[in-house]
Amino acid sequence: MTCDSATESPRFKVAAPHDLSPRAKWLRDYYFMGNERAWNNQYSPFTTGTPWDRVFGEGDYYIVPEIYFYIGTKKTRGPYATSLEVMAQQVPLPEGFWSHSVPERRSIFFQEVMINQIPQEIISDNDLLAGGRFNTQLSKCLDDKEENAFEKQNLRNRQVVFKFHGDGFGNAGATGGHLIANYKGIVENGFKSLHEKAKDAHDKLGPTEKKGSKGSELRAMMLSAETPAKLASKYAEECRRLAEVAESTDRRMELEQMARNLDRVPWEPATTFWEGLQAVWIAHMLIIAEESYPGPGTSFGRIDQYLWPLYKKDVIDEQNITREFAKDLISSFIFHCNTAYDAQIKIGNQGITSGFGQLITLSGIGQDGEDVTNDLTYAILECFDEWNPILEPKPNIRLHRNSPDRLLDMIVSMISRSQGAPFILNFDERSIAGMLVEGITSSDAWDYACVGCLENTMQGDDRSGTVNCNPNLAKSIELTLWNGKNMPGNKGISKPGTQLGPRTGDPASFTTWEQFYDAWKTQVGFVIKNTVDVYNLTEATRAKFLPTPYVSILVDGCIEAGHDVRAGPPRHAFVTIEGVGFATTVDSLLAIKKFVYDDKKFTIDEIKAALQADFKGTKEQAVMQALLKNKAPKYGVDDPTADALARDAMAFWASETWKYKTPTGYQFRPGMLSWNYWAGEDAGLTVATPNGRNAGTFLSNAICPTNGVDTNGPTSVANSVGTALGGKTSDGEYCSVLPNGASHTITFNPSILRDEEHREKFKAYLRGYIENGGSALQINMLDAAMLKDAQDHPENYGTLLVRVTGYNAYFTAIGKELQDEIIARESHTM
Amino acid sequence: MTLAGLVKIITDASSSDDEDTAIVFEIQKLSTEDGPGIRTTVFFKSCPLECAWCQNPEGIDRQPSIQWYKQKCIGCGTCVQSCPKGALTLDADGIHLDRPLCDACGICADSCPGTAMKKFGTTWTLDALLAEVAKDKAYYETSGGGVTASGGEPMMQARFLAKFFARCKALGISTAIETCGLAPKPAFEAVLPNVDMVMYDIKEIDPELHEQFTGVKNDLILANCTWIASDLASTGKPFWIRTPIIPGFTATEENIRGIAEFIISNLNNQVERWDLLAFNNLPADKYERMDKQWTLKGQSLIGKADMEWFQSIATSVGVTNVHWSGLTR
Repeated sequence: MTCDSATESPRFKVAAPHDLSPRAKWLRDYYFMGNERAWNNQYSPFTTGTPWDRVFGEGDYYIVPEIYFYIGTKKTRGPYATSLEVMAQQVPLPEGFWSHSVPERRSIFFQEVMINQIPQEIISDNDLLAGGRFNTQLSKCLDDKEENAFEKQNLRNRQVVFKFHGDGFGNAGATGGHLIANYKGIVENGFKSLHEKAKDAHDKLGPTEKKGSKGSELRAMMLSAETPAKLASKYAEECRRLAEVAESTDRRMELEQMARNLDRVPWEPATTFWEGLQAVWIAHMLIIAEESYPGPGTSFGRIDQYLWPLYKKDVIDEQNITREFAKDLISSFIFHCNTAYDAQIKIGNQGITSGFGQLITLSGIGQDGEDVTNDLTYAILECFDEWNPILEPKPNIRLHRNSPDRLLDMIVSMISRSQGAPFILNFDERSIAGMLVEGITSSDAWDYACVGCLENTMQGDDRSGTVNCNPNLAKSIELTLWNGKNMPGNKGISKPGTQLGPRTGDPASFTTWEQFYDAWKTQVGFVIKNTVDVYNLTEATRAKFLPTPYVSILVDGCIEAGHDVRAGPPRHAFVTIEGVGFATTVDSLLAIKKFVYDDKKFTIDEIKAALQADFKGTKEQAVMQALLKNKAPKYGVDDPTADALARDAMAFWASETWKYKTPTGYQFRPGMLSWNYWAGEDAGLTVATPNGRNAGTFLSNAICPTNGVDTNGPTSVANSVGTALGGKTSDGEYCSVLPNGASHTITFNPSILRDEEHREKFKAYLRGYIENGGSALQINMLDAAMLKDAQDHPENYGTLLVRVTGYNAYFTAIGKELQDEIIARESHTM
Repeated sequence: MTLAGLVKIITDASSSDDEDTAIVFEIQKLSTEDGPGIRTTVFFKSCPLECAWCQNPEGIDRQPSIQWYKQKCIGCGTCVQSCPKGALTLDADGIHLDRPLCDACGICADSCPGTAMKKFGTTWTLDALLAEVAKDKAYYETSGGGVTASGGEPMMQARFLAKFFARCKALGISTAIETCGLAPKPAFEAVLPNVDMVMYDIKEIDPELHEQFTGVKNDLILANCTWIASDLASTGKPFWIRTPIIPGFTATEENIRGIAEFIISNLNNQVERWDLLAFNNLPADKYERMDKQWTLKGQSLIGKADMEWFQSIATSVGVTNVHWSGLTR
């Protein structure tokens, strides 16, 4: 057996597609032609044609600060909105359109667009699923009075959101996507059942109610429930048309079968695996189409579970289709998911932005805690492996104590053949512990799935906004130090000297750590409340003016209550407050505690002066920065003292979120997904922090330790993450104070997967993570680009584990020659 | 060095070997090369050998020592001012340490604002060390791993080690030792009952060459090897041999063949695995920081083909389960 050798082929395996069927290969290649394709799924904007019509919903993008510029300034509509309006196609409206309520207008408009305005297209002879174009920008269908009222609120919200962000608080906004619709219900009962439900509910209303909002919404829902059936009908027509001119008998038969499928689904329950996938796809694409927001977190849930009975029947029991054909069906599905990115394909980078995430959740435990991995799980994973690299749909694999070896082997194999894991791992025991905190019972919580990137959600009856609120927790440190104001010299949007937060006192007057920590608690509580207040404005506006009746029928609880999912709660209704900059905040607290209160080495005023000068004023400040950075306890290295404060601070800010509800009755709750805010906008707007961080530089990422701190390796950091979430009770029960989960990324040295023996150790590490770690894990592998960066910033690469038998390896402080040596051993592209 | 002189050194070490504290210079988590599974490696300071290729020279002396990291230094001079012995000076080339003056009190390392000054060799109590290694117990369990005592030579602190291993076992943590084998038999007898596996170095079979390369003869080492292998076999515990393959030193056909023959004749199927470890050139910077010359500075890595060849020699003599590892040219 061999190990690493400088003469072997490059260590860095860049994933490449392999073993694709001809059909799948064609689809993949076609997708990656990008802008060169004859067909694409870019935004199709549609308007009612009124001069005041609004097509672009800017509220969806308040959580994407990078595009604030395109939203507009004080009163303008901004480039996005105006360009879409200019391009928008006018839609013929039926008689009496304007006499209907807004939800009804929306559902009429939506149906007209999907059935008659957007063409039905089968994307080549290799496509097995109908449902091509679905990226829309739809008129909000408001009349002039409504539009006026909306515009007032909209502009006010915009300014509030921009100010919130501009003062370094982060971002918040009622955004779309981020749900798992009731796909299971569609597969098992069809849209017919939802139509019936809505009709029953409508029929039961009294005359006044019928005239009111409930009546409007339910009628809109009834109409919406018919849209998928009508679309399927038109697609069936198109399939039959293509069948007549098909060049091969095989393709003719496929198209005829597709037409028969569409005659049945998604109106009726699915009776085959093919129908099942077709039903899910149409249901799903229409969500994206109605919200006009391409696939951000609109996720599929546990598709390997709810399609398993049909797959089992067709592939295993009755052998109606081969496993290979089933994988071809999955490949079609994968192809269509990726076309969500076509929305902005002409903008460049194939239109790919960070805003997507159509998740598929695989494996995990069943009702009795048993493992439910099945052959469909593996078939789906194989497809992902064969297509890799591919961006959508994103697999989340649920691991637990009894996850089968075969699954772990596949996971490790996939990781070892690409430069990073093409999936996120979710951890059942820790995740479920968190969900119990928000009131999901243990008889339900086992069936959770993920949306967005990894956020834990229930399926089919849960519209929990998961990235609607993203406060910068580190702001609380600045507010504590400056008694509720911005640091002087902070280039925030508010006038200098403005009292932003509560007056918690001049910290120079505090004589104990407890006083400082209490003041911090008040300020972080304010950061949460401020976030809530901003978010609630956007939600109230959206609730009043921007209903989505189609989406609403797919979330249990809305039909029953007769309200839109944006206007009232379904069965489970949460809004997540995702805390950003956690480790930066905790490490800052730890540094202040040690140097100001325990060792009394610096006064709080000296720390403040150094922060104002960004540690660059005097030599003493440079020394202070080094001390704060290097000699204070840190979260993330399995240090019990540091982690105890991390745990306490986490529990505290998390507890603050539970105090609030939204105007539509949703409950706020905590999570920790920092997306890119920690490296982008928030980082730029955060002043220097007492953990030794310079102004404007990266914050910490989600629940990860501060960059460069993690020098004790992956076991220590996993232990710290688990501790921060709450660890375990003395009886060994898992605790988690973050029901929505926490994002954790670890970068490994690819040498850990170099042979069978080491892959077994890596598997064992994952099983250890199940025991001790967090709720989700993204595994990256070091690549050549990272190593180049490691030469310039070796302090950020403490995770570059060099493991040699009997060798005490410390990479963190070595000379350039040795860095070169280590880097050469890792990369052969340098 | 005579055997008597050597025994004296060991006896001295043992007599000052406190059974409740130990001097350790590193604790490494997620060790993947120091025994089965995922392990925590505890590097014990002090070694009776001084191998030319030593990859942890900071572990040879029992006394702690100081190293200065040029790239981390911000030139603040705090260490210079803090040193009670005045052993530090700062000039255009950086920090200079007058080692004869330095008693490694470690005040400079504590006072350094950054991580430019480090003291190698910290005293750990039994309780504290146990708490530290217990942190990763979950990973030991999922991987069949545990704690490995390495260094330096852990047997130089055998009395502590015996207690430490007993405590590990009581906690359900598996134990392993990486040893050069140069310790008195009673010391091994005290430690072995609580060791689950042994990784034993046979570096050079020729007695004269061994003394030349490491500073000590190999007769006691080979004698210990024989009875320890037998002892472990009778208790069903794995016994592994390690041989560093160092160009210009141990990397010869004679040596590998000789060790292989020793294994076949003396260790009767008692060796579960034999690892050939390729020369590691990474320690060069350690020697510089210790103001020491390194015989092997600039030595290029051994070739992959050579490692495979040595492996084939070992196998051809009849030894089974021979592995090689490390970076090669």
